[in-house]
Amino acid sequence: MRAGFQAVSPGLIALGIWGVVTGIAMVKSGLTETQAIMMSLLVYAGSAQLTALPLLAAGAPIWLIFAAGIIVNLRFLIFGAALHPFFRDLSWRKRLLLGYMNVDVSFVVFMPRFADASQKGTLEQHWFFIATVLSSWTVWQVTSMVGAALGAIVPVSWSLEFGAVLALMAMMLPHITSRPILISVIAAGITAWLTQMWPLRLGLLAAVVVGIVVGMWSERRLKAKVKT
Amino acid sequence: MVREALKGQGKDLMENNAYFYTAIILLGLCTAICRAGYFLLGHYIPLPEGLRSALRYAPLAALAGILVPELLPWHPVDGPQVDLRLLAAAIAIGVFLWTRNGFLLIVSGMGALWLSRWLFGL
Repeated sequence: MRAGFQAVSPGLIALGIWGVVTGIAMVKSGLTETQAIMMSLLVYAGSAQLTALPLLAAGAPIWLIFAAGIIVNLRFLIFGAALHPFFRDLSWRKRLLLGYMNVDVSFVVFMPRFADASQKGTLEQHWFFIATVLSSWTVWQVTSMVGAALGAIVPVSWSLEFGAVLALMAMMLPHITSRPILISVIAAGITAWLTQMWPLRLGLLAAVVVGIVVGMWSERRLKAKVKT
Repeated sequence: MVREALKGQGKDLMENNAYFYTAIILLGLCTAICRAGYFLLGHYIPLPEGLRSALRYAPLAALAGILVPELLPWHPVDGPQVDLRLLAAAIAIGVFLWTRNGFLLIVSGMGALWLSRWLFGL
């Protein structure tokens, strides 16, 4: 469990800053503090919250908000498929709870560590995951509330959100340990750059798909080269 | 995306509580469906081993997908934008490659952004 806390700590800095930023954004979009807190507790998905805010403010139809929420969260279906073998033997209640609590940073620290484990679903893996999702949830909720309470006090000119970007970089760089991973990350980055004007964070989904495909492709090419 | 949201609308359009709470309950359902969907129903949707091992590339690709638009945003009219964030990020990556320390990466990147803005008077 301690290993989980340690591994996720840079992610918690990113989550914390993004939590504050999302809290501020919720209040600035016209939500009351209570509404902002309820939204963060129920939805618990920063990108979906940020996507929904302008729709809510504009009084968009409920079905559109629901559709947007599904599309923004589609990448988690892929994450869920990757994580499923580790949790398949748990009761459905536990799977529902742990699945619901999975966020980008917990997935990012869990997968590289255990993807090649010969045995999937060990107690060590479960506790590692629980440590990352519990600390992520706590940090996100607390910092969202801080952001909602601060409201407009933190000036935009400080660019605090850049701290979150840097924290995510600190999470990512240590895991770039092979050439296929590097190529996959570059391809995903280029895709994200080209598709960022797509609505509903579809560009992020495209980046994930391209990263997976290019990663596999370069892995196979590299193996083929070694053999010949 | 984050920067746009921060500018905010400042309007009080959330007075309709029934509308707001219906919307966020449904959004919570979106979170649960996407995140826990495969956890709950994965037994019935077996994946071929090749595809499953391909999913190891998903986490870093997602991080790159979140990072790049924040670092190199596109303006709806003016197209691609470059600002001092890119310089600060490059310095931060350099510091990390040199020290292998994630905390120094964050501190140096933030410091580089503030310092360069002050130097260039932006």
